Amino acid sequence: MNYLFGRGKGKLVPYLLLFPGLLIYFLIALGPSLATGVYSFTDATGIKGAPINWIGFDNYKEFLVMGQASRDNYAALGRTLLFCFFVTTIQFALGLLIAVLLNSKIRGKNFFRTLYFMPVILGAVIQGMIWSLFLYPMGGPVAKIMELIGIHSEFLGGKPSEAFAWVIVVQIWANMGTTMVIFIAGLQTVPGELYEAACVDGATAWQTFRNVTWPLLTPSVNTNLLLNIIGSLQAWQLFLVLLGYRNGTQVLGYLIYATGFGQTSGSVTSSFRQGYAAAASMILFLIVLVLGMATQFILQRRERRILG
Amino acid sequence: MSTQQDQIRKSTMNAISMKSRTKGKLSKGKILAYIILIIFTIIYAGPILMLVNTSLKTMPEFMKNAVGIAKSMNFQNFTEAWKKANFPRYMTNTILYTFFATALFVISAVFIAFPVARKYVKCSGAILTIFIVALFLPPALIPQFQLMLNLNLYNNPVGYVMLFLSNPVGIVILVNYIKTVPKEMDEVASIDGCSYLRFVLTIVTPLIQPAIATVAVLHAIGIWNELILPTIYLTSEKYYPITRGMIVFQGVYGSNWPTLAAAVMIMTLPMLVLFLLLQRYIVSGLTQGAVKG
Repeated sequence: MNYLFGRGKGKLVPYLLLFPGLLIYFLIALGPSLATGVYSFTDATGIKGAPINWIGFDNYKEFLVMGQASRDNYAALGRTLLFCFFVTTIQFALGLLIAVLLNSKIRGKNFFRTLYFMPVILGAVIQGMIWSLFLYPMGGPVAKIMELIGIHSEFLGGKPSEAFAWVIVVQIWANMGTTMVIFIAGLQTVPGELYEAACVDGATAWQTFRNVTWPLLTPSVNTNLLLNIIGSLQAWQLFLVLLGYRNGTQVLGYLIYATGFGQTSGSVTSSFRQGYAAAASMILFLIVLVLGMATQFILQRRERRILG
Repeated sequence: MSTQQDQIRKSTMNAISMKSRTKGKLSKGKILAYIILIIFTIIYAGPILMLVNTSLKTMPEFMKNAVGIAKSMNFQNFTEAWKKANFPRYMTNTILYTFFATALFVISAVFIAFPVARKYVKCSGAILTIFIVALFLPPALIPQFQLMLNLNLYNNPVGYVMLFLSNPVGIVILVNYIKTVPKEMDEVASIDGCSYLRFVLTIVTPLIQPAIATVAVLHAIGIWNELILPTIYLTSEKYYPITRGMIVFQGVYGSNWPTLAAAVMIMTLPMLVLFLLLQRYIVSGLTQGAVKG
């Protein structure tokens, strides 16, 4: 469209006003993002003024094939995939179930939806603290209930696998609302006449879901699956708040942060291995990219099959 | 013909609604649905009720019975948490960071999104693509740190605010919304001699207010809740935002749950109020951002 608000030098006004925002974006987001690959080939430390040397693939070699450290890395990678698998499947299933229930004729819809969505906006610190209290091992609510069925658990302070499982629970509790809301938005696009028709034909609730709702929900299914997979591969803040940097529980994201910036806080006095951390984050990035693209590919094929 | 069809349609509709009305009260499916929703209500409200309950207890009361209903109504926890956790300072910091970063971002975003949506600048499509591409690039964390360190913006509130001046999803939401504003507005305004700056500020901005609200609220929530960046970039306690302060407070008062719970409550309440007031914008922003992303 032709610019209407002036001629000659006047045409430069939108450029001038656009420039600061774009510059900041290049400086703090896009540039650094692209530079992560470059840093992954150096021995950068995070100390101001320290020399940064080019070391080729050494960081990658160390991360992938060297002794105990690389075994720890593979363990963390395994946990990351496990975390992704459980969070994605459970959160997806629960979000869909709740969305379908809330899309039917039910009283108090708004109340339920608001309540289930609320944790999303609270952030990892509050989510984590609330659950640390809820999982209080000495007579807390969950401990009491589990006592009734004869299970004793140390929860977050227990065995690494146990603590890890509880982080999965909290992660799902915290983010199920987003999945639900996206499904509800998708359900509202399904035309009501189709349900009427199904009802007239005497379809059962399951048949209606299987043959009407599920195929038409394909776009939200795709969105949610991709968001959940990518999100859970990169999520680690709840690990920090709930568990801290504990052996046998860390996921790749946390490992990257800890090698790059120290385990609890980033102080410039000690030397952190930022080149190595950059290499690790490139590896995580490639995993996210490959899994994300594979999912996208499968979903698009499925979409073509269903929606033509 | 059409009236006949209407009649048939009406009668089927009646039949359907009759069916669902008679079914509504007894249907097993509906009972099951309520049972599931109530179980989830317990899972979602439970942790929060536990927090509220604990924040009103005394320490001995909590030690004796962690789940018992608070009898003492010990509001002292709140005053204690407020003072000991250095809350006034952290809260002020968080409010300042959130306000300045959100305001600056939204202003710059409107000046990017409007000309791009209208193609008033060259390469509009390319500019938009550059923002979308960022969603598929590696994390910027480490080079960003090196940059801030070398710009002397490490442990510096101004530098910290700078980190939050970009949000590609926000730009995409604004561009899509501006495209729905009729272009005739621009023509009329320009014929009347309105300048570009004045047009954007006094005419476009009010028209796209719902999208601005969505973007601002999402952006503000992100800053308010941010934990990693303050941990990395702010080392002086006087600059801590509330999230970082809270982790420090937990380290010191980790076993005193009543005080800690009160502190968490103080931190949660502003978000909760904001959420209940602006839920619509938050939800629409999340679903839009998700679908476009």
